[in-house]
Amino acid sequence: MHRYIIKRLLMLIPVLLCVAFIIFAIMDVAEGDPVYSVVSADATEEEIEAQREAMGLTGSLLERYFRYVKGMLQGDLGTSYVSKRDVMETYLTRLPNTLKLAAVTMAIALGISIPLGIVAAVNQNSIKDTVSMILALLGLSMPNFWLGLLLIIVFSLKLGWFPSGGYEDGVLSIILPAFTIGAGLAAFMTRSTRSSMLDVIRQDYLRMARAKGVSERKVIRKHALRNALIPIITVFGVQFSNVLGGSVLAETVFAWPGVGRLVVDAIDQRDIPTVTGALVMTTMLVTVVNLLIDIVYAYVDPRIKAQYMK
Amino acid sequence: MRDQIVEKKVTVSQKYKKRSTFISIWRQLRKNKGALIGLAMLVLIIAIALASPYIFDYDTQVIANNIKGRMQAPSADHWFGTDDMGRDIFARVCYGARYSLAVGVVAVLFALVFGVTWGAAAGYIGGPFEDITMRICDIFSSIPSVLMAIAVVSALGKSTFNLMIAVGITSTAPFVRVARAAVLTIRGEEYIESARAIGVPEWRIVATHIMPNSVSQIIVQATLRVGSAIISAAQLSFLGLGVPAPAPEWGSMLSAGRSYIRDYNYMTLYPGLAIMVTVLSLNLIGDGLRDALDPKLKR
Amino acid sequence: MSEETTNNLILDIENLVVRYETEDGIVRALNGIDLQLGYRQTIGLVGETGAGKTTAALAMLRLVPDPPGVVECDKLMIGGRDILNLPAAKMDEVRGKDISMIFQDPMSALNPVFTVGEQIAESLQIHEQLDKKTSMERAKEMLEMVGIPGARANEYPHQFSGGMKQRVVIAIALACNPKLLIADEPTTALDVTIQAQVLELMNRLKEQYDTSMIMITHDLGIVAEVCDTVAVMYAGKIVEQGTLEDVFNHTLHPYTEGLFNSLPNIKNRTAMLKPIRGLMPDPTDLPAGCAFAPRCDYATEECKRRKPQLKQVGPTHKFACLAYEQEGFHIKRGNR
Repeated sequence: MHRYIIKRLLMLIPVLLCVAFIIFAIMDVAEGDPVYSVVSADATEEEIEAQREAMGLTGSLLERYFRYVKGMLQGDLGTSYVSKRDVMETYLTRLPNTLKLAAVTMAIALGISIPLGIVAAVNQNSIKDTVSMILALLGLSMPNFWLGLLLIIVFSLKLGWFPSGGYEDGVLSIILPAFTIGAGLAAFMTRSTRSSMLDVIRQDYLRMARAKGVSERKVIRKHALRNALIPIITVFGVQFSNVLGGSVLAETVFAWPGVGRLVVDAIDQRDIPTVTGALVMTTMLVTVVNLLIDIVYAYVDPRIKAQYMK
Repeated sequence: MRDQIVEKKVTVSQKYKKRSTFISIWRQLRKNKGALIGLAMLVLIIAIALASPYIFDYDTQVIANNIKGRMQAPSADHWFGTDDMGRDIFARVCYGARYSLAVGVVAVLFALVFGVTWGAAAGYIGGPFEDITMRICDIFSSIPSVLMAIAVVSALGKSTFNLMIAVGITSTAPFVRVARAAVLTIRGEEYIESARAIGVPEWRIVATHIMPNSVSQIIVQATLRVGSAIISAAQLSFLGLGVPAPAPEWGSMLSAGRSYIRDYNYMTLYPGLAIMVTVLSLNLIGDGLRDALDPKLKR
Repeated sequence: MSEETTNNLILDIENLVVRYETEDGIVRALNGIDLQLGYRQTIGLVGETGAGKTTAALAMLRLVPDPPGVVECDKLMIGGRDILNLPAAKMDEVRGKDISMIFQDPMSALNPVFTVGEQIAESLQIHEQLDKKTSMERAKEMLEMVGIPGARANEYPHQFSGGMKQRVVIAIALACNPKLLIADEPTTALDVTIQAQVLELMNRLKEQYDTSMIMITHDLGIVAEVCDTVAVMYAGKIVEQGTLEDVFNHTLHPYTEGLFNSLPNIKNRTAMLKPIRGLMPDPTDLPAGCAFAPRCDYATEECKRRKPQLKQVGPTHKFACLAYEQEGFHIKRGNR
């Protein structure tokens, strides 16, 4: 098992290098020479050249990329054009806020979707099932930022239960943005839970469990759920990336000081080092989380575990 | 001589099969209430999109400022009210369907053509090319698609066309996967071998034998992707990175409405509803198609 | 039926009817069967796929899925206890304790995410209120009993071969020493050599545990090996029933004859196989008369109009066929 984890970690390195390159290359296409956003209008040719050198803008794309990777390995993502602060430092001050939001989002999504998916599957084609599926479909079709706006209208402006934005009110501040991102995720996960449960519910081993005298409740909660969760865990990895994506919108709507806002603001200000740094770090985060989920997956499913033990 | 006859027979029966597949898909779809509702909704939305230039004058009714008539609540004159520039929101929402549908469809077509070609090639050629393709797909699905699209738009500059490209790029990976998987499942089938044995060129084998088999999955994927592409485009416009003002794009209308959410919340209501209804119709059709094409998945 | 005889029966079913009400029509899976089984007796339920054998077994455990399944019955007693109207919680106590079942496909009957030991121990925890540790000890003993080293209790089902899995399933079914064991084609999914081993094992354990058994199969060879009595089923009804001697040597029903003629004869290899022509009728649309009439060589006009009733012909032998109403009728197989 340890060898498997080490192997996966080693495989991570080329993937991360590739990610950094893709993002670096995209950002390189950006029109306009970033030097001019920094130097004063009456700068001399020499001053501009010196500045370009200082900003690491000389050389071919590959040269600059390797310089960037070298810096990255030492934890240096460059300096913001705008705030002149270290990008890594800025990113790390914002990251906890986004992770907090992501964690609450995941909790809300799981808390809604797994019970709902199970109820829908167990009562297939009943009213409960139909209502759950309609709710899930609406959740999937609703743009998250619009849901955020609706939540503000109802729960903060009309009812005054939650603040309409900001960070100051602790737990209260996090509920609406988390729900904004979580609704779509919950909808998706409800559908996956249901179809995964439906697959499992027809299996002989559930009939076997019933024939042993296991109560219906336990058949569902112990025998069926454990099997149904396996495919759900795999989709959860991909969903983490969507949660971070969703947080870009939710953080904008609710003025939440996280990574998503950082990126959006940086783009407004054409602050390329910040955008590149934040994207690279976020993608790394997703990749590492996916790896962790794969490992958890191996622990949950003995069949996979056995495969890797060999 | 005999081979020719056999080949003819094969093509005839395939043509017959193709037609009957579409008929049977329609028969299945007709039984699905959700899909029919979705289809009716989509037809209506397309009709509105096509008709809006004849109903509203773009220059005077959709984008012209009318400061005197700003912020009117919904009424008989202005069904959805007017916005901060005094423009009729109903006219703008109707006109907005043109942008959302165009961006969604073009972006997905781009992703489809590019992704299916790439994926089919990867599956067919195999080897390191296939491995690299799949790794790239993995990477693309681990970069949050909103962030990816933001990066692309900010690199290329804000315009409707660049928005389509950005959304298209983020929708490509699923098509690569579907096409590759489809090719893999039939790569080893005997009728492919026999086509090769009678000297059918490789590209023809892919185009006439392999791709038609994955068409159904690709159609389903495309329908569902248009819906998510519309949401992505609206998200980018909401962030100020999509269709430039003053065009009546739903996402940017919501962005404008956000500033007035406290006192004039109808400004944020209707454009969002329009997005949801459009995406819902596509999701209903996509789900219905998937059930119709694969009865095993019917749940 | 008097009190006394009831008490001597492990299983007593009268007029069991099961139908599945689906969108495409009503599937009539079981159309009124009576079944009695004495203690320590083994009965074989024989018939083609779709004859309603598995449905009958599920109905005895009250595990017919509802919806779409609808079960009606005049009497359903196990070990002298009426289980027809038992509430769900009480029924959980009966299953696994009084009556248990071995399923056809051992590959899918074991839960992939639990060790085999845990799956055996679970029955013991439910029915004998054993704690985790004791029940695992007992589970290991059960594994030894079915010929698997106890140390393998901590392994997962995918680590076992098909025959081994079926042994595990048998261990689960017998863990709480049930009075009645239903085996639903327990060897069909296994290789021939493994089949013999598993059958031998079941025969031995049945004796050892004093268990009554219902052996569901389509293989008359298995019936000859393990059963005391046989019930031949066709389209949800019993068409012939009796001791092995009655049914094998004094065959009366044309369908039973057809089953025997479909068997390859090892002693006489030149003999032609005589398969029964046609297919089982559609259970959503059963014929008005005898369900077997469309495939029967002896069918008369009367057979197509009227449903035959089960008739007692000897102390133990029953059959349902209208052709015998003709004077001097006998099937070709005759009384050997």
